[in-house]
Amino acid sequence: MTLARRSREDVRPVEHGQDPADWVRALALPGPEQDEALRRLHDLMVRAARHQVWRMRSMLPRPDARTCDELANGAADEAMTALLTKLDTFEGRSRFTTWAYKFAILQAATEVRGHAWAAREVALDDTDVWRDATPGPEQHAEAADLGRAVATAIQQALTPYQRRIALALLVDQVPIDVLADRLGTTRGALYKALHDVRTRLRAHLVATGHMPAPTTSAGGS
Amino acid sequence: MTRDLRHLTPEQVSSLTLPTEPWLSCDDCFRLMDQYVEGLLHRQRDVDVPGMDVHLRGCAACAEEVESLLQLVAQEDGIDPGPAITRLRG
Repeated sequence: MTLARRSREDVRPVEHGQDPADWVRALALPGPEQDEALRRLHDLMVRAARHQVWRMRSMLPRPDARTCDELANGAADEAMTALLTKLDTFEGRSRFTTWAYKFAILQAATEVRGHAWAAREVALDDTDVWRDATPGPEQHAEAADLGRAVATAIQQALTPYQRRIALALLVDQVPIDVLADRLGTTRGALYKALHDVRTRLRAHLVATGHMPAPTTSAGGS
Repeated sequence: MTRDLRHLTPEQVSSLTLPTEPWLSCDDCFRLMDQYVEGLLHRQRDVDVPGMDVHLRGCAACAEEVESLLQLVAQEDGIDPGPAITRLRG
């Protein structure tokens, strides 16, 4: 049933201190039930955002209570807005609360990463930094050989853009959301680029005999 | 350009060459993560969301958020998240 087809009669009244039996209906129709449902939803968003900020607080330059609270509350507000615009996509394949939490977790995690890297430069290299890389003392000969082969593959098999993405995300450990923001793109687009990087590198390594050929065919992207 | 040469650590080599098939996008991961997490927490068997395990090995951000959601739901349900986290980390 779509939101537009739901009638007010379908909505079970929301009692104070109790979650709605049908969150989607309670949130969709204006009235006191909606007001109460929105209040309870915001509580859920704050709870999940605080949980996420707490998990990632070690990334923050100043992980004090005030900073964490500000990040969590801001993320909760943003997440609630995002959720409400996608309310009609809830299919009931999980509990509503689990579905709702993920919006706050995503938003809070993204904001913590952004806050942590706000004052840090993201160097986007695609230079010959990899050329003739030699093994460190801790590397065994076989691992060092593969490392050199991967370095060569990075130089030969990737485009400059792909090299920059690979270096930033997988070597310099720039968070994907931060890199997406700096490049004006999305997490999904960068992950797709990373997928292409990995596919090209593996193909190159198979061709040079540094990796075994895949034994089964895989689906495309 | 003159720069210091860098070494690729074994972890970086593994990450750079990680298989990412079957394909699952970050948007699909977000769309499916709630049912995936509940499946991990509330069923004994592995949850069949094609491509999710591969995606979580290849996308650190999505992996953090899925594990966080799992921890939060487990906490609310009074469930020990340990076994599910073990399955999640594969």
